[in-house]
Amino acid sequence: MVEFSLWSIFSFLLGAMRWTVLLSLIAFVGGALVGMGLLMLRFTKLRGMSTAVAWYVQIFQGTPLLMQLFLVYFGLALLGMDTSPLVSAAICLTLYASAYLTEIWRGCVNAIPKGQWEASTSLALNFTQQMRYVILPQAGRVAIAPTVGFLVQIIKGTALASVIGFVELTKAGQMISNATYQPFLAYTFVGLMYFALCYPLSWWSQRLEKRRLA
Amino acid sequence: MTDTHTPPFSLVDICGLHKSFGATEVLKGIDLQVKRKEVVCIIGKSGSGKSTLLRCINGLETFERGSLSIDGQALQHNHREAMRELRQQVGMIFQSFNLFPHLSAGRNVMLAPTLVKGIPKEDAHARAQVLLERVGLGQLFDRMPEQLSGGQQQRVAIARALAMAPSVLLCDEITSALDPELVGEVLQVVEMLADEGMTLILVTHEMAFARKVSDRVVFMHQGLIHEAGTPDDIFNRPQTPELQQFLSALRD
Repeated sequence: MVEFSLWSIFSFLLGAMRWTVLLSLIAFVGGALVGMGLLMLRFTKLRGMSTAVAWYVQIFQGTPLLMQLFLVYFGLALLGMDTSPLVSAAICLTLYASAYLTEIWRGCVNAIPKGQWEASTSLALNFTQQMRYVILPQAGRVAIAPTVGFLVQIIKGTALASVIGFVELTKAGQMISNATYQPFLAYTFVGLMYFALCYPLSWWSQRLEKRRLA
Repeated sequence: MTDTHTPPFSLVDICGLHKSFGATEVLKGIDLQVKRKEVVCIIGKSGSGKSTLLRCINGLETFERGSLSIDGQALQHNHREAMRELRQQVGMIFQSFNLFPHLSAGRNVMLAPTLVKGIPKEDAHARAQVLLERVGLGQLFDRMPEQLSGGQQQRVAIARALAMAPSVLLCDEITSALDPELVGEVLQVVEMLADEGMTLILVTHEMAFARKVSDRVVFMHQGLIHEAGTPDDIFNRPQTPELQQFLSALRD
């Protein structure tokens, strides 16, 4: 049996952590773009749009992320698309993040007093101008803290991509565990690495929130 | 441009306006015509529909029946483009100022002209400076709203509305949220506008002010115009018991 040094375990996990970071970034950036689009649809007065977006959000919030991953992974295959675990996970997490982000941001937009809409309406601004120059700059300040907070959720969510065979931090931990027969050691490392990723973000999010309320 | 010919219609023409919130009918058939350069004050108890009427004039509220036109253009709720055209004609000042808190006083004034009318930034900047000077705030271009007193904020809001060069200005209880000592400075600005020939429709609780600036006072009661006339008629010779009661309640 081959002996693994702690250093080799650590460096292997560190390599896998890059994929966790990459997948998180894709999901966050993709989710933010899609989520912003959905947010606009939600607030335009187009018939049925707002309801459609609300249902989209409910579907992603009302089902386990794990199941969403399975559906996207096997669903895309069923459609004849040859997808890698990375592409499937990226698509799924992007959609998942978009649903949550659009809902978080909707709350932030709703927090802006009605008078701001009325004042900008009476100045003859159109919807896009109202959003771009009046509402979003104010909602953005409210949104920063919960958005950074949600980034933590995404990072932890990427762990589930391991079940469709994507080698990120959790999957790498599994592999180490299988090879070394030391699951506790392997997962302790994995846990610490997630914590090292997430804790600074949580801390930052809380600081932003305090500063906003100050 | 040419202001010599008199159009055959009133600047603001409201006919048979009905408006309900759910089952409650708040406007029960309002007829009101406001001529160019006229100053009309709307008085009445809270809940009489005065603010709702004002908000109908620039389309912040929709109405179910009746017609409303500004400068001959009928208000069409479902036509966004037409609504924006109309709103450029109708400025509005709110009880709670509603300045954009993330923009400086000057930027508040500049925003709509640059976005809606496409006026170049430098021109809009210069114009905003002139307007702020007119409301007595020339020095405060770069102040943020939160650094201004209520009276100053309201004067910025007036400058902001004027920046769109509207033909009529709606004032919705614009001094009600102010500390008593700040009311005067805002009313002074409004009086200046009235003297300059701005068409004004004001909902107000400041009776002394209404008496002083109005060409016509309209008393609203239970969703209808109950009595209307010159300030002298309304305040000195009220005809209906409701108006008499309203005025005597104020004097107590």
